[in-house]
Amino acid sequence: MASIKLDRVTRTFGTKTAVSNISFEVPDREFLVLLGPSGCGKSTLLRMLAGLESVSSGEIHLNQRRVDQLPPSARDMAFVFQSYALYPHMTVRRNITFPLIMRQFKWWFHIPIIGGMAKRKIEASPEVSDLVGRTAKILALTEMMDRFPRTLSGGQRQRVALGRAMVRQPQVFLMDEPLSNLDAKLRMSMRAEIIKLHRDVGGTFVYVTHDQIEAMTMGTKIALMRDGVVQQFGTPREIYLDPANTFVARFIGTPPMNLIEARLERGSLRIGERTFSLPAHLAGAASGDQPVLVGIRPNALTIVSGHDQALAGTVALVEHVGAESVIDVRLDHATTAHREEGEGRNEVMITESGYSDLHANDVVSVAVDLSEAVLFSPESGLRLRPASQAATARVN
Amino acid sequence: MTRSGSWGHGLRMLAILALLGAAAFPLYWMFVTSLTPSSELFASDARLLPKFSEIGVYRDAFHGTSVTTWVRNSAIVAVGTTLVSLALAIFPAYALSRFRFRGMGLVGFGLFITQMLPEAMLVVPLYAIFGNLALLNTLGGLILANSAFTVPVITWILKGAIDGVPIDIEEAARIDGCSRLDIVLGVVLPLVAPTLAAAAVIAFFHGWNEYIFAQTLISDQDLRTASVGLAGFVGELSTPVHTVMAIGLMYTLPAVIFYLFVQRFVVAGMTAGSVKG
Repeated sequence: MASIKLDRVTRTFGTKTAVSNISFEVPDREFLVLLGPSGCGKSTLLRMLAGLESVSSGEIHLNQRRVDQLPPSARDMAFVFQSYALYPHMTVRRNITFPLIMRQFKWWFHIPIIGGMAKRKIEASPEVSDLVGRTAKILALTEMMDRFPRTLSGGQRQRVALGRAMVRQPQVFLMDEPLSNLDAKLRMSMRAEIIKLHRDVGGTFVYVTHDQIEAMTMGTKIALMRDGVVQQFGTPREIYLDPANTFVARFIGTPPMNLIEARLERGSLRIGERTFSLPAHLAGAASGDQPVLVGIRPNALTIVSGHDQALAGTVALVEHVGAESVIDVRLDHATTAHREEGEGRNEVMITESGYSDLHANDVVSVAVDLSEAVLFSPESGLRLRPASQAATARVN
Repeated sequence: MTRSGSWGHGLRMLAILALLGAAAFPLYWMFVTSLTPSSELFASDARLLPKFSEIGVYRDAFHGTSVTTWVRNSAIVAVGTTLVSLALAIFPAYALSRFRFRGMGLVGFGLFITQMLPEAMLVVPLYAIFGNLALLNTLGGLILANSAFTVPVITWILKGAIDGVPIDIEEAARIDGCSRLDIVLGVVLPLVAPTLAAAAVIAFFHGWNEYIFAQTLISDQDLRTASVGLAGFVGELSTPVHTVMAIGLMYTLPAVIFYLFVQRFVVAGMTAGSVKG
């Protein structure tokens, strides 16, 4: 049973701060996903948990026991690498058994022949061979135990790497983008296997990825990071529905949330040429008249014809994904706060189910559903919440 | 196989045979010369085939000289140089590859500089030092002197190979409970085995062929190596060429056998490394 606690953990490399003052707690049996773009410090944080990287300041606790000064092998954590990091000169069986051999390792195991015999004896002992056999069966590796890693496919290698982690029966599994070297189809099936592994094996999982779909589907908790700082820590649902700032809002969700520049005016919200009445959950989020950013998910915008409470625009691009269509609309009067990959300053994304018949340059009206909209400050990018909600958010 | 493919194959075989001939011809010539009577040695038309009736020269060389002692001493020096050089080079190579420390460039450069000094220049100082350490006239001393020359080269070669071992594998081993020594001996060394075999070849042949140190640091007849013993035949007035050639062949064969043995590992390693994984 393993709970992890990070207390003001910081890591600096020279003058660069890779991980800055991170504190959070992960209860036992949680599946924590460290999510963020490249270079956000998520892998460094994971490596600090494993003991592969030292902590510049702060403390890491595993079950109330401080572990940040301990060597990696004394922390009772297993690590699955992005590159699998299998031992190429050992068979699958020896790769999986290796951590168990190391537990009984003596210096004279280095002597050729004698050491080899001793290792084989450990490998053949009933408790070790049973455990390895069971692990191999769970991961469907039984048929390939005597093969070398170079003869295996990517997915099989990844399963061997998981097997090597599982036989140790560790309290914590650490995984550093373990699926990113696999093709899309295999990634989906391995994703399901890891979720199943978490359910069956128990233990606490910490999983690093830059893929928000992986984070949303696998994690019971997500820590979304940028520039070494945790932007938001919470369940996937909280992070999706209740983003703490514009970065979180744009990072989670495909297509990302639209951030439209608007103005609060006497209890109503003015977007472009239209004025909308402020829904109850947004009332009191900001006092007086002021500019705000409205965050609206693409599925809360709808293409309508001739609606007087709709925003006028022109279709810029239609992408058919199969079950739904993603429509890029250039608004006539409103501007957005995001301008990524050559987008114009007034383009919003809208998802519609089914195969859309719209074409580029069609003139359309966009209806806005504000029931799940959120407000952000245009200067700081932080969430604007009504006073009552702000108090709850702080407690979380 | 296509027509052009078979032509290509034929040409390749021809090139290989030509190279093989060029490499093996000196050995063959040694054999032919050893079986050529002295009277015909300097004849204008060179003998291309051995005269097997002269085979007695081998028996005479075997019984009439200390060739077995010399070859044994050479083998001790060569194997000793190989073992000592590998054992001493592995750790600095690992350190140069994996650690960042102050003066690292200087250490690397220092190792390099030692290669620029000719052996002959070091004979006198080494003689003085070995005299003080009672290492003169011992095969152990000769092994140390030879290793001083091979360790820097092997360190650089091994460093290059260790650079190619992914750091992830070492980190996985750390998590699995390996100490640094366990990692070097149990994970890194098996992965650089082909380079280790190549390094062993370099060290072995250095020890086997070395002449200057063997000549100056050893004075006892029983401790002479084959290179010195062989040179002893070259007289001011006459040189028994066929005996020299016979002994030369006996001196060469163990080295060839050693190379054939190690070469398998070098090649096996090359093919193992060519597969990504």
